[in-house]
Amino acid sequence: MTAFYGTPGADPFWHWTTLVHFVLVALAGGTAFFTAVVALKRPQSLGKLPWLALAFIALDLLMLWAESPARFRFSHVWLFFSFEPAAAIWWGAWGLALSALLLLLLGLRLGPVRTLGGFLAFTSAVVLAYPGYALAVNAARPLWDHLLLALFPATGLLLALAVLALLRPAETALWLEITALVSLALTALYPVALASGGADARVAYAQWLRGWLWFAAASLLLFLGAFLARRNPAIAAACAFAGAALLRSWIVEEGQRSLFAHGF
Amino acid sequence: MKLNRRRFLELSAASVGAIAYTGHARALRAPWAVPKKWHEGEVRTVYSFCENCFWKCGISVKVEGGKVRKIDGQKQNPKSRGRLCPRGQAGVAQLYDPDRLKRPLIRIEGSKRGEGKYREASWEEALDYVAERMLKIKERYGPEAVAWFGHGSGDSWFVEYLPAAWGSPNAAKPAVSICTAPRETASQWTFGRPIGGHEPVDWTESRYIVLIGHHIGEDTHNTQLQDFSEALRRGARLVVVDPRFSTAASKAHRWLPIKPGTDLALLLAWIHVLIKEDLYDREYVKKYTVGFEELAVHSNKHTPEWAEKITEIPAETIRAVAREMAAAKPRAVLPPGRHTVWYGDDTQRMRAVYILNALLGNYGVPGGFYLAKPPYLEKYPHPAFPLEPAAGGCSGSSGGGEEVPEGYKPRADKGKFFAKTTAIQELIEPMLSGEPYPIRGLVCYGTNLFHSIPNVPRTKEALGKLDLYVAIDVLPQEHVMWADVILPECTYLERYDDLVGIAHKTPFIELRQPAVEPLWDTKPGWWIARELGLRLGLEKYFPWKDIEEYLDTRLQAIGSSLEEMKQQGTLVQKGRPYLKDWERRRRNPFKTPSGKIELYSKTFAEHGLDPLPDYTPPMPVPSGFYRLLYGRSPVHSFAKTQNNWILMELDPENEVWIHRAEGKKLGLRHGEYVWLENDAGVREGPVRVRLTERIRKDCVYLVHGFGHKGRGLRIARGRGASDNALQTRYVLDPISGGAALRNNFVKVVPGAKRPKLERIARLVRERRI
Amino acid sequence: MARYAMIIDLAACVGCSACAAACVLENEAPPGHNRLWIRQRELGTFPDLTVEYRPEQCLHCEHPPCVPVCPTGASHQTEDGLVLVKAERCIACGACIAACPYDARFMNPAGYADKCTFCEHRVARGEDPACVETCPTGCRVFGDLDDPESPLHAWLERAERVDVLRPEMGTRPKLFYLNTPSKTGLHAPEREVES
Ligand SMILES: Nc1nc2c(c(=O)[nH]1)N[C@H]1C(S)=C(S)[C@@H](COP(=O)(O)OP(=O)(O)OC[C@H]3O[C@@H](n4cnc5c(=O)[nH]c(N)nc54)[C@H](O)[C@@H]3O)O[C@H]1N2
Ligand SMILES: Nc1nc2c(c(=O)[nH]1)N[C@H]1C(S)=C(S)[C@@H](COP(=O)(O)OP(=O)(O)OC[C@H]3O[C@@H](n4cnc5c(=O)[nH]c(N)nc54)[C@H](O)[C@@H]3O)O[C@H]1N2
Ligand code: SF4
Ligand code: SF4
Ligand code: SF4
Ligand code: SF4
Ligand code: SF4
Ligand SMILES: [Mo]
Repeated sequence: MTAFYGTPGADPFWHWTTLVHFVLVALAGGTAFFTAVVALKRPQSLGKLPWLALAFIALDLLMLWAESPARFRFSHVWLFFSFEPAAAIWWGAWGLALSALLLLLLGLRLGPVRTLGGFLAFTSAVVLAYPGYALAVNAARPLWDHLLLALFPATGLLLALAVLALLRPAETALWLEITALVSLALTALYPVALASGGADARVAYAQWLRGWLWFAAASLLLFLGAFLARRNPAIAAACAFAGAALLRSWIVEEGQRSLFAHGF
Repeated sequence: MKLNRRRFLELSAASVGAIAYTGHARALRAPWAVPKKWHEGEVRTVYSFCENCFWKCGISVKVEGGKVRKIDGQKQNPKSRGRLCPRGQAGVAQLYDPDRLKRPLIRIEGSKRGEGKYREASWEEALDYVAERMLKIKERYGPEAVAWFGHGSGDSWFVEYLPAAWGSPNAAKPAVSICTAPRETASQWTFGRPIGGHEPVDWTESRYIVLIGHHIGEDTHNTQLQDFSEALRRGARLVVVDPRFSTAASKAHRWLPIKPGTDLALLLAWIHVLIKEDLYDREYVKKYTVGFEELAVHSNKHTPEWAEKITEIPAETIRAVAREMAAAKPRAVLPPGRHTVWYGDDTQRMRAVYILNALLGNYGVPGGFYLAKPPYLEKYPHPAFPLEPAAGGCSGSSGGGEEVPEGYKPRADKGKFFAKTTAIQELIEPMLSGEPYPIRGLVCYGTNLFHSIPNVPRTKEALGKLDLYVAIDVLPQEHVMWADVILPECTYLERYDDLVGIAHKTPFIELRQPAVEPLWDTKPGWWIARELGLRLGLEKYFPWKDIEEYLDTRLQAIGSSLEEMKQQGTLVQKGRPYLKDWERRRRNPFKTPSGKIELYSKTFAEHGLDPLPDYTPPMPVPSGFYRLLYGRSPVHSFAKTQNNWILMELDPENEVWIHRAEGKKLGLRHGEYVWLENDAGVREGPVRVRLTERIRKDCVYLVHGFGHKGRGLRIARGRGASDNALQTRYVLDPISGGAALRNNFVKVVPGAKRPKLERIARLVRERRI
Repeated sequence: MARYAMIIDLAACVGCSACAAACVLENEAPPGHNRLWIRQRELGTFPDLTVEYRPEQCLHCEHPPCVPVCPTGASHQTEDGLVLVKAERCIACGACIAACPYDARFMNPAGYADKCTFCEHRVARGEDPACVETCPTGCRVFGDLDDPESPLHAWLERAERVDVLRPEMGTRPKLFYLNTPSKTGLHAPEREVES
């Protein structure tokens, strides 16, 4: 039996605002990435895409700023005054900032669209990748497995595609289908990866079991997203969005729980 | 909006207005700056001593920006040696507790006691009100009809000075008859010396320590815990006798999970083995004791096999421990413990403890008991009081002279028990019965009537009958909110008190002095006592104008001064700790009739008491019930720290400990809430269940002090259960007057809901604005 | 340069929490949080029991996972091996809190990641950390591993057993637990998920 005098710092440190951020940043990265692809392949049909992506970035940054208890210290400038390549969030910050810059240039049609698109493909990929990376490095949080390195970019892109599917169904249907299927596959793989992990496997798997219903629901939604992508893009988009958001939120929320506090 | 704590303190300081806040740049924190820490500011140190329990550790109070920020142990102080227990550390949160009593209150005319309806009053009005009614009582019934209860180091004014000047013998502290009376009485009639407030156990020199109950580690009397740990570090072996696997038991080499209430049988069996196997210290016994022959005969029947049946401790274990302690003698010791009012045979149990120690030859010998000496200190030269100051503290002085001067009455509890120590609980009876004479008024200083004195229904009834009930306290405790007049004292960090002399290996004197000005309209006890004294026509006993003059006079008389004491905090004198130190000076420490340690007590025999301890079984547990045991949380003091947010975050509620198997049998789940109901039908709770292997199956355990119901205690209220509420029965120890509390039985009633309470952090945050 | 470390002798610790109360006041932890707490573990069955009182706080890991994840360099390791947070640089992102395997960090509502500093401000003045100074059982000691005079060495030598928390994390903690009462060390025989 374990008891405490005082409480360990085991309270959740990320709140619903953070969960929203994990969705917004995916929308930002995903739309930016799609914008980059369009810029590279069919620059003439770029339209207002850069502005949409830029809006998501702005929204996400606003969210991050607003929820930070350090917001009035404006200490966020340190993200850019320091060189911390080991930190996922540092990459994310630069990824978002540079993507924003590139998107602005693209939106204003300043500079060579293809070159800008090339750079944007890279910076937006960073934005898509860093959340999963930020989670996966935490060896102490078994639910945040290395598989998230793939799962988060995939679901991130999926979230963006779900939004884009409403705006540009024709262009995105195939993408949506593929990304949803990839996400579904990774989701199915996830418990297997957890259970075959290291010392924490049992704990991680047990933790996953507590949320298996969510997973079942998310998987179904992802499946519907893929299945309906070409038949009914609107419903497919809604399903895919819900499935991906659910998945990411649960993993972030549940994964931050301290197993150390109560499990040892 | 989230504000940090410093901001809270600043805001509350601003709203208080009473204190000039001289903070620097931190006063208004810019949102873009990281708040500075207090230790970056200018810090002043004030020496004083702690009041969070009655151990009185010397403290160094760190004051910065006009506020107390931190309290550390005073390095030069023999009690703290630079260290403090959690309660001592957290005193700051009491000082700045916004729930404190803030100004005098008078119960609204026409309202009943306990309704809690009050109006604010000036000190003038409140004191006049009290004095007028006291004088009326005196006129009608005599001065003895006002009882004085007090506890804490400020109590000297209210159980010694004022009552003696006023002429009431009915002054008492709970620390006697609900705490130490049995061990003090037994010590007085065995060694002719008190144990005293600071148990004179020579821990660090000891090689073998046997704790009977005495849950050191949960009982966090600072110095004792330090010495106990040092002893273990030096390799002392430890045996713990306790029905519960206490913290101390977790450090022990042997744990004896004794059947509750049977310790005396175990002790007698040990005496038996020491004598029968010729393991006792022959020389010591011959030289320093009387009555060994009688003891030897008496102990024939107390075989370990006999004790095994009673205590449920294997005879073999009993023998083994006796042999081990004998092998370590005289550096083997059975410390007296402190809270010794257990089953009603307590003086006899303590006698057995002391007899064992004497057989081990350890009293006045390194590794056993040292001989504590009080420091040299002079009284203030005030005119002689009509009565001798009565109460007697932990040191359990007999409580007032035997002779009653002309025109005065003996204490109302006299004749109820042999030792004539004050028995606070027995002074409640005359409030109800008028026997042997009526008690019509009560002045209650820092004594928790509803949490420290058993049989609360009786106490409430008695309070209802009084003509006057005055409470002097710092918090709106439930019993305080029954008073006719509430006089808010300032806390120990805001006041002077009388000097404190500690009987110790190295006797010493400590000064209490204010670290900051009193908050709100609160006043120190000495001021309240003096103002009241003047109004009661006792001005001749208050020749001093203020406390500085009083203290300086006392200190000058011993060659020091107030100025000097303020600088040094503690004044240490030389002691005479061992028998050899006494013998060198041809002095005899044993103030018994025989001048020796009395294994056999003739005096007891003459008074029809067992001259040698004998076993009597405790009240049996009715079926379906568990015996209710209780003890301390290391983090709390009694029932007075449950509104301290720092301590409450560490330990927010008590739990009822039940053996896992018993819990399963009752269908209980760990962590669920239940009610406790005693055999008189009193229900208490809800309280959380702690299913544990750490307790016997025939008893349950509660930490004392929780279960507050006072509306004004916003943090304490509604958390955990009160042991005292369930202790509607006590057995009077006929020798010491102690109120034995462990004869209450409870059953566990499942199905209570988890109380809906705000998180403590929320309560703290909310109140910052 | 020093290599600061702390030792807690669990044979002596009684879980009294004086250290925790001292830390709150010394370092002004806000209500609801603390840099230091005490875990009590009950092991065994009646009457064969062990209780472990284990104070926990930041271990000032030699390989602190909380440092590399910090995107601003607020979380850093000093030359003396202390792991500290430069509050004014902290953006309160929480990455370091997630990275710490010991729950040692929390978000101070004043807007920065907070945790045990080994009371560097006191150490700089040549004093012991607040928790060490007050501990009534004297079961804590603080010092410099690189200093041969430091009492740390004697304590480590005398110990029957030396443990660190979650060694499998590869963090190389500099908070050592001596004489864990449980034969299985600091870990429960069986890890359970919080129920
Ligand atoms: N933290 C903290 N420390 C304190 C105090 C406080 O309020 N808080 N108060 C101080 C004061 S004034 C006092 S009097 C002391 C009290 O502390 P102690 O003098 O240590 O009190 P005890 O009643 O001896 O110890 C309680 C233990 O006795 C055990 N016990 C119960 N019944 C029996 C029995 O029949 N036989 C035996 N052998 N053991 C039994 C209980 O399980 C419990 O572990 O603590 C002092 N120290
Ligand atoms: N049920 C039960 N009863 C017990 C015990 C038990 O374990 N269980 N233990 C017994 C023992 S061992 C003892 S020593 C006694 C202790 O008995 P008490 O001393 O009565 O216990 P506390 O609950 O500390 O109550 C102290 C009161 O003083 C107030 N107070 C605190 N500081 C100050 C101050 O500076 N000035 C003034 N004027 N008031 C102040 C508090 O608010 C509170 O009302 O209790 C005994 N009674
Ligand atoms: S033992 Fe603790 S509460 Fe009691 S006087 Fe000492 S420091 Fe204060
Ligand atoms: S102060 Fe010392 S004995 Fe008490 S809990 Fe902390 S480390 Fe343990
Ligand atoms: S204990 Fe946690 S916070 Fe402290 S250095 Fe190690 S990883 Fe960092
Ligand atoms: S919370 Fe502060 S210290 Fe921690 S990683 Fe983020 S910026 Fe660094
Ligand atoms: S070293 Fe200082 S900051 Fe760290 S736990 Fe101890 S008191 Fe707190
Ligand atoms: Mo007591």
